Amino acid sequence: MWLPLLGLALGVSLGLLSDIQIPQIYDNYLSIAVLAALDTLFGGIRAYLQQVYDDKVFISGFFFNIALAAALAFLGVHLGVDLYLAAIFAFGVRLFQNIAVIRRIMLVKWTEKGKVSNTNEP
Amino acid sequence: MKKTIHWKFTLILLLVGFMTAVQFNSMKNPEKRDTRDVWAIRQDLATEKQIHSEMLSEIRELDKTILTYRSLNDENTGRALAQTVDKLHRQAGVTDIEGPGIVIKVEPSAESAALGIPITGISPELLTRFVNELNRFKGLIFEIDGKRYTILSSIRDINGMTTVNGLNVSTPPFTMKIVSPTFADSEKLYSYLAASTIHDDFYLDDLILEVGKPKQAVEIRGYSDRIENQFLKELPKGE
Repeated sequence: MWLPLLGLALGVSLGLLSDIQIPQIYDNYLSIAVLAALDTLFGGIRAYLQQVYDDKVFISGFFFNIALAAALAFLGVHLGVDLYLAAIFAFGVRLFQNIAVIRRIMLVKWTEKGKVSNTNEP
Repeated sequence: MKKTIHWKFTLILLLVGFMTAVQFNSMKNPEKRDTRDVWAIRQDLATEKQIHSEMLSEIRELDKTILTYRSLNDENTGRALAQTVDKLHRQAGVTDIEGPGIVIKVEPSAESAALGIPITGISPELLTRFVNELNRFKGLIFEIDGKRYTILSSIRDINGMTTVNGLNVSTPPFTMKIVSPTFADSEKLYSYLAASTIHDDFYLDDLILEVGKPKQAVEIRGYSDRIENQFLKELPKGE
């Protein structure tokens, strides 16, 4: 549980300390990539909780989603259509759905745990 | 199995964290927007170029001095040093100088004379303003009522009297002399002063500024006092 959080903290501090900046024109790509990464991450957590987690799906999904989102944004820039909005919409909706599912599973687990501890009591 | 999942999540979270931080950096860093338009940037560029060219000419001058020192043998070294000292004296304003320039007369305005308004001395603020106006031009050497104005000079009010270098400036009329590097510069200065709004400032104090035509030879006296050197120290002599 703590290891992934440590990874997150490490990543954030690495990013902040290295003071890397990307040019303004690539802002869109990175923001959408971050969104895609978050979507995949929460998808992974959900799959893990539902016990349907698959390594290959998770890892490939992570990179593929990022690449797809960036590619959509790139295409959108060149076609003059804000295609990145489509990606934002899709990822945003999925993010909310995934978090909702995670919340429900957690709630169910929590209530079950409470019941079990209640029945165990003399 | 669980351990590998943890590792993968850690790795992915590390990437996510890094990307978020980079995004945060990129979003945050242009705190101050550059709102200059093309002309403002061009102006800045022009200023920088001018500094560049000034520095180049300074370097050229110093190179010339070095070359003079090198080309001289021991007997002439003293002469070269004396030349340098002379040049520095000239720069500091302790020597008399003659060159193309203009003579400006400060007089009471005709109206004040007609109305019988008592003539008061020029105020230090007005004189400073005038000097600042002159300092728009580079390389000018000037004298206010016979007092050489150097980099160390001050315009102050001492017991109600306006002074330059601690000496009283007479009640108008008095003259100011300006020597410029070339005659063309004098002409430019003359045109500038003819159109300048400084006349209005003088007129408010019941004074008028009579700017004379550029002359080929204007003489200015050197700074008569000893220049005090409070901060520079002599280096110990090297072997």
